[in-house]
Amino acid sequence: MKVANKSTSAVSLVKSALEKIEKYKDKNIFTFINQENALKKAEEIDKKIRNGEQVGRLAGVPYALKDNFLSTEGETTASAKILTGLNSPINSTCAEKLEKEGAIMVARTNLDAFAHGSSTENSFFGPTKNAYDDSRVAGGSSGGSAVAVALDCVEFATGTDTGGSIRQPASFNGVFGIKPTYGTISRYGVVAMASSTDVVGFFSKSASDLDLLMSIASGRDSKDQTSLPDFYGTSDFSLEKKKIGLIKEFVESPALNPEIKSAFDEKVSLFKSKGYEIVELSLPALEYALAAYYIIQPAEVASNLSRYDGIRYAYRTKNLKDESSPEKSPLDLLFSNTRSEGFMRENKRRIMIGNFVLSSGFYDAYFLKAAKARTLIIKEFEKAFEKVDAILSPVAPNPAFKLGEKVDDPVSMYLEDVMSVPVNLAGLPAVAFPAGFTSENNKDYKTPVPLGLQLIGPRRSDKNLIALAGEIV
Amino acid sequence: MNISEKEIDHLAELSNLSLEKDEKKALEKDLQNIFKYISKLNELDTENVEPTYQVFEMENVWRKDEILPQDADREALLALSKEQEDNQIKVPKVL
Amino acid sequence: MSDKKYQITIGIETHVQLKTKTKLFSEVDNDARGKEPNSCVSPVDYALPGMLPRLNEDAVKLAIRAGSAMNAKINSRSRFDRKHYFYPDSPKGYQITQFFSPIIGEGSITLPSGKKIRIEHAHLEGDAGKLSHFDSYSLVDLNRVDTPLLEIVSMPDISSAEEARDYCKELWRNMVYAGVTNGDLYNGNMRFDVNISLKKPEDKALGTRAEIKNLNSFRSVERAVEYEYSRQSKLLDNGEKVIQETRGWSDATGKTTSQRSKENAQDYRYMPEPDLAPLNLSEDFIKTEYEKCPELPEDYRKRFKNSVSSDTIEIILDYPELARRLAEVEENNSNEDTVNYIANLFSSVLLAEENSSLLNDPLPDALKLSELAEMKAKNELSSTSAKEVFLKMFEEKHLGKSARILAKELNLIQENDSSALEKIVETVLLNPSTKKAQEDYRSGQEKVLGFLVGQVMKESKGKANPSAVSEILKKKLK
Repeated sequence: MKVANKSTSAVSLVKSALEKIEKYKDKNIFTFINQENALKKAEEIDKKIRNGEQVGRLAGVPYALKDNFLSTEGETTASAKILTGLNSPINSTCAEKLEKEGAIMVARTNLDAFAHGSSTENSFFGPTKNAYDDSRVAGGSSGGSAVAVALDCVEFATGTDTGGSIRQPASFNGVFGIKPTYGTISRYGVVAMASSTDVVGFFSKSASDLDLLMSIASGRDSKDQTSLPDFYGTSDFSLEKKKIGLIKEFVESPALNPEIKSAFDEKVSLFKSKGYEIVELSLPALEYALAAYYIIQPAEVASNLSRYDGIRYAYRTKNLKDESSPEKSPLDLLFSNTRSEGFMRENKRRIMIGNFVLSSGFYDAYFLKAAKARTLIIKEFEKAFEKVDAILSPVAPNPAFKLGEKVDDPVSMYLEDVMSVPVNLAGLPAVAFPAGFTSENNKDYKTPVPLGLQLIGPRRSDKNLIALAGEIV
Repeated sequence: MNISEKEIDHLAELSNLSLEKDEKKALEKDLQNIFKYISKLNELDTENVEPTYQVFEMENVWRKDEILPQDADREALLALSKEQEDNQIKVPKVL
Repeated sequence: MSDKKYQITIGIETHVQLKTKTKLFSEVDNDARGKEPNSCVSPVDYALPGMLPRLNEDAVKLAIRAGSAMNAKINSRSRFDRKHYFYPDSPKGYQITQFFSPIIGEGSITLPSGKKIRIEHAHLEGDAGKLSHFDSYSLVDLNRVDTPLLEIVSMPDISSAEEARDYCKELWRNMVYAGVTNGDLYNGNMRFDVNISLKKPEDKALGTRAEIKNLNSFRSVERAVEYEYSRQSKLLDNGEKVIQETRGWSDATGKTTSQRSKENAQDYRYMPEPDLAPLNLSEDFIKTEYEKCPELPEDYRKRFKNSVSSDTIEIILDYPELARRLAEVEENNSNEDTVNYIANLFSSVLLAEENSSLLNDPLPDALKLSELAEMKAKNELSSTSAKEVFLKMFEEKHLGKSARILAKELNLIQENDSSALEKIVETVLLNPSTKKAQEDYRSGQEKVLGFLVGQVMKESKGKANPSAVSEILKKKLK
């Protein structure tokens, strides 16, 4: 990526970023543009360079921050009405590390409210459009970040991936995206979705950029007791087996779009030509991953969204009277109206599902059952990685779908996550990478849209996956 | 499984949401379909399988019992709330 | 509450605030006494988005020590869970507690009566904030949010109001002696939820229970149980049902009243806490903390069994520092009378109403106290003088002084040296004013001896030992 130096000024980098951001206004990529601060920071970096002072590894690099990262620059909304007006006094650990290396946040990106969605249509600020086709979705939940990188508005963008929210929009917009091993990057200051699968990751235009970003952002954070001691910086590229696996159940799925299938086969032969052995794997428990995920994730969502009550910060309802239910006190209404007015429909669905699977009488049948299914999924992956170094897989069964196509049919929307959520349940790393476009003569996609695939590895194999992705793109 | 309007009301109460009639109807239909899908899990045999709640393989993660400066002080925090009085957050009367 | 028509069954849940420096999940001051509202609140306690709990190691250690004070099994594996409810005093919308696997397993508390009350389990959790109510609004203070609590759940082994009081008191003593809490009941350091049900003696099954929440004194526990007994027995007498519900206690009215049934119907939707690592404590770790538990009331009872009356022991046990000081006295002077004498000074002099203020001052050290007891034993001090010296020991200006030096200064040491006494007696007998009395005594009126002793005491300025004086007089007047 372009870093500021004697010949290229940080100000010029930031300015061209701001121009692109302006140019693509209509894509609805951003929730906030950091014009003033960004330019000020750029000038400071240029001054340092002029004075021959030390500057960081990301000096003057413009980047976009997904709007579910707390930031003192602009409101932090997670694209949800209920967080509007929140001027955070705190920055996320991830952003602090990036800024310490000189990176400059030029804008905040749109997402499905609280990252609940696979299309960025569930945003209080409206949907973000696909980088290549305005009639199609950006994917989600990190749709804004993916499109911002795809359209070259920024060098890189942050994202969060709870069930595919980095990899799926990356593949819908033809960029690289990493979902690190659970705990690799601190979650401190990142609005929680489902804590046991939430990870922080990145979008970029190259594998080498991902590598640099990972080496900067990884590591233990005393403010996140689930964060792992740094392994990324100390690990290096090493494949003992030179074997790549493919998941029979995914590849043979009738739901898999033929365009993605052929892109997949292409990469398979490319791996072969590079001397990798391809191993077919069967992971039957994955068939249940999506169901397990849509029990565990809503449960944690319902819990994590309990704190949004209108009392301590952000949106608070003005409607403290309700003739229809006189038994409700103004305080009751402060809670329930703030939440009803502040959450999107999809947020409410997940909160209610979550409260159902946790409620007395249903916990064992749903939440506990799903937690056991999770164990089986983890075991199957562990067995698989005794045989192979990494698994090649589609990210989603289909390329970017039409805006409005699935937004009112939650289950069909959830089914788009079927190939991404198993990775999250197991806490594994995965890298999504571009794999061409739909063909010109495909009448379903008049405007060709990107295709994406992912490489999945055992825990802590993040560096290998990034290198492998670099090898075959 | 089928969920009645009564159950939707109960879930709405647990969720602290006050739902309009039409919204309730829509959610009833959505949740119906979602429950139908997740009930697929009943096919899976989980006999003698231990549950997994977390995937970061660490235990006994704790900190020293020392007072440290925080990332935001009282003034910064209280300033985020809509109404304050006497350094406290003001809310409608708790009955 | 004997000769009762119904048997009463009582189980008690006790919330103990642990005296860590910082809160359970953030590095802010855990002692908000006398501090401004919301001055001990971190962004974590405030439940900003993206904040994660940061477990305090010492809370885990104090929990183990508390377990040791209840002879409880410590579970090497435990974890945290979320208990969900919406309330302005609960910023996260859930309380972090240990529902599925608590850190402390079965244990017991032995009452002074010798009866054992079994502990079902105890778990760590965070406290809630405080609300204050005004006519049209309420105010939220989050200082107390996530103060570490140990919730101790007893088995329903308690069968009377007195026993309920004794259990709470003995549990309080054990927690305070173990050093896990400040034990300040007035400031809510320990709070009791009492579950009470009645049944006919012949019935097997327990009756429906009512839970009286948030009692904060031993007396109110006892009174609340007595009230509930009469309330529930009246219901049962009239063939009515006891409703399972939460009730509140008012010290003013001496009554319990039903609280919002909504709360009773609550479904907490417990869920494993994904933001905290599970605990898996090594045997060594547990053993180290377990052994840090100092002497407990039961140990002191054994220690003083032969030297101090059990009534006096029970009085002293309410004051850990007195029990510890008495133990020191015993250690540097094993004489049982000395220990008993000091114990009585504590219970009858120091703890007397008029001296209560002295409890705030530093106690005289064991050496001074032992010396004082010896001087008293050797009749160098009369018992009145000994008490006087003891009380003076608390005064600023006497702090540095040994018992003897202080007694000398106060001129309270008795003259026991017989040769010295004889001289004084002789001067008195040579004094004409005593002639008549001497004759009367010789002629058999023994009661005048008192007058002569008095004269000698006067001559000795009160320092003579009266009994010794009368002996000498008797000899001389033969």
